[in-house]
Amino acid sequence: MVGLSAGEKQFMHGGIAQDLRSDGRQRLQFRPISIQTGVIPQANGSARVTLGATVVIASIKAELGKPAPLRPDKGKVVIFIDCSPTAGTMFEGRGGEELSSELSVGLQRCLLGGKSGAEAGAGIDLSSLVLAEGKICWDLYIDGLVISSDGNLLDALAAAIKVCRFIFLVRFEISSPWQVALSNTGIPKVSVIVEASAEDQLEVNVSDEEFLQFDTSGVPVIVTLTKVGRHYIADATSEEESQMSSAVSVSVNRHGRVCGLTKRGGAGLDPSVMLDMISVAKHASENLIAVLDSEIAAAEAAEDDGS
Amino acid sequence: MASTDGDRPESKLAAEIEVEAYRRLFPLPYYDRHLVESVRPDGRALGQARETTIAVGPVSSANGSALVKLGDTTMLAAIKLEVMTPSTKSPDEGSLAVDFYMPPICSPSIRPGRPADTAPVIAKQLSDAISSSGMINLKELSLVSGKAAWMAYLDIYCLNADGSLFDAALLSATAAFSHLQIPLVSLNDSGRVITISEEQKGKSVSEPLNKEIRKLAIKNTPFSLTCILHDKHILADPTSEEESVMDTHVTVVLDSKGRLVSSYKAGGSVLLSRSMIKNCMEIAKQRMEELGEILKESLSAMEID
Amino acid sequence: MASGPLETYSPSQTLERRHQQQKRKSFNEIDWARSDGRNFHQCRPAYLRTGATSSASGSAYAEFGSTKVIVSVFGPRESKKAMMYSDVGRLNCNVSYTTFSTSTRGQGSDNKDFSSMLQKALEGAIILETFPKTTVDIFALVLESAGGDLPIIISCASLALADAGIMMYDLVSAVSLSCFGKNLVIDPTSEEEACQDGSLMIAYMPIRNEVTQFTLTGEWSTAKINEAMELCLDACSKLSNILRSCLKENVLDFTD
Repeated sequence: MVGLSAGEKQFMHGGIAQDLRSDGRQRLQFRPISIQTGVIPQANGSARVTLGATVVIASIKAELGKPAPLRPDKGKVVIFIDCSPTAGTMFEGRGGEELSSELSVGLQRCLLGGKSGAEAGAGIDLSSLVLAEGKICWDLYIDGLVISSDGNLLDALAAAIKVCRFIFLVRFEISSPWQVALSNTGIPKVSVIVEASAEDQLEVNVSDEEFLQFDTSGVPVIVTLTKVGRHYIADATSEEESQMSSAVSVSVNRHGRVCGLTKRGGAGLDPSVMLDMISVAKHASENLIAVLDSEIAAAEAAEDDGS
Repeated sequence: MASTDGDRPESKLAAEIEVEAYRRLFPLPYYDRHLVESVRPDGRALGQARETTIAVGPVSSANGSALVKLGDTTMLAAIKLEVMTPSTKSPDEGSLAVDFYMPPICSPSIRPGRPADTAPVIAKQLSDAISSSGMINLKELSLVSGKAAWMAYLDIYCLNADGSLFDAALLSATAAFSHLQIPLVSLNDSGRVITISEEQKGKSVSEPLNKEIRKLAIKNTPFSLTCILHDKHILADPTSEEESVMDTHVTVVLDSKGRLVSSYKAGGSVLLSRSMIKNCMEIAKQRMEELGEILKESLSAMEID
Repeated sequence: MASGPLETYSPSQTLERRHQQQKRKSFNEIDWARSDGRNFHQCRPAYLRTGATSSASGSAYAEFGSTKVIVSVFGPRESKKAMMYSDVGRLNCNVSYTTFSTSTRGQGSDNKDFSSMLQKALEGAIILETFPKTTVDIFALVLESAGGDLPIIISCASLALADAGIMMYDLVSAVSLSCFGKNLVIDPTSEEEACQDGSLMIAYMPIRNEVTQFTLTGEWSTAKINEAMELCLDACSKLSNILRSCLKENVLDFTD
């Protein structure tokens, strides 16, 4: 954990009260974001996001699987976040596990809309992953790795997932839109020949040549507002996080709709402050989405030039 | 009752300190002085069991369930029926799986992630007692010979541990089996067994495998009593405090005809003499009759509802 | 006796699924009746008792509809040896399910995050400074799960904490809500939870007017969040009164 002296604490609190934080930012200003896609060649999609000194990598792999018997019309998404002990001493042992599971659950709630993913309008539409109902579907494995931590991991991870471009090529029609995290993911073309054979087995043809890029613009971004003293700030560094009383992570999609929300930290919040924070987070998300979009465009342009 | 004991002049220390402190500091002498007077700290006679209540059917999501309170010891047993393919050795028999859980809520000494040492021991004793007493005829759990049979999962949770866990667990298992109702089922086209709900009963395409919702015929119910041996004394139905102070335990399991199903004595400092075994059996027999009455009453109370 | 793992299945599964798909259709309509006859803004009847487990420092039993929960509180007692010195007390929460809590055996155990959610909901309400260097253990067992498990565990746990005499700023009461299209349905059953479009859960201290835990899933507009929060906060305040009267009754029983 970050140890701060009384003077440093006072400096930080004073700065936040006057809308000028230690690194010169305003309360609701994000640190500069840079994005690199396709960092892991063996994954279907991957991205590295650098947010100030926080660096995270997200990768998405797609595998063919069988839908759960109780949800025959849905694919499955597994989110797993690993906090590497190299990123900081607090990630060693059990502390790292706890943080990992907290982040995984937070992302799951914000991107999948609840554990079951049963809800409509969630960040990732699970029904688009089904190839043949009850028989075969895509299982998405979303893995996040925290390489270096300087606060605001949840927002960075969500942004990284959002910018893994997702390419999806199947003979079946896929109607729902995906967004940036999924913007570098190639899923091989698959054709399923549904035959009522005796063993009820499906034949699956996988072709490596054809890929379909999938639009990932529907994936929400997460904006975390951290309450320090009487004010709240966006994109807190770990120094600032050590002083938080509570934090609210809001996931917002392109249409300005809230897709998920988690509260962190033990201290209670006044309901009206809470609502205020939600609307501020919504506003901040617009900027974040715009920044991510332009970064993706830049990354794509760079890629095109390279090839 | 205990305070008068503490005021006795013969032990200087006992007169000087409070009863509660004496109890904690010198538990053994504390008990000894009670036992001399043939009374236990909670006011019971030596061979007397605690008040016992049985409530059947508290869990609506299970096929059969029972809640047993033995003094402060509370046990919740529930049976769930699932369909399995019987083994080739016994194609017309169902199966029974018994599990005993001590979740962290039941006792301060149990922490999550580290299961209690005694839980698997009690689970084994329970499944032995149930199978060897012949209470359940596994043939009754058969559906289609060689194809489908019931697998009965009996799960017993200890909600509050205050001694004599095995006795309470066995009683809750017996009560849950008495309450167990086997649902109406039929085979569907793909050979899987499905339940038939009430409204479908008439217009069901496939023939039901069993005619009506039925109960198991329970032939021989085992009852058990745990006693603590201390010097010459036999204390029936001990609390957890008594169990921790005195270390020799004897558990006797009798069936409803009074025959011995099993008995356990796991070491301890007191050695059993033949007359003591006899005494234990005698107390257990009385207790068995008592429990039989209580069980009968609770079952008939349910039928009235 | 069973030897080795056997393939077994619950016979009703296929029917249940069909049933659920039918249900789903009816939920999408504007007007539908809840299976237990409540209206959309009505909570299930609550039954609460303290002192369910005598071996614990404090305990409570809660029954909302057919959801049944027991919470035991142990301590404050010595923290584990490996723990570092701390001048405020620690909380250790654990939530477990019985194997028969859901209709399919052994399905209730996939709620691993409930333990940390429970801890976060209660942390802000407990005056941790009153028991430095020690730990309070809060253990919950869900006997039967029929929807709204987490909010019921939270409310029941705050009652158990009060029963154990742990100092708190206020009782925490929690309520969840499901969203179906335009409708907001409070205190959903598990059947309703399985088909919901979105959900919201609030843990609230009415006297301090503070929200200790808030989660939201699914797509929501701000206006709808406002409406849902108002409904939940109102229900939390009412539930808090019920918790309070339960504690009072307990004290009266004691003095009699």
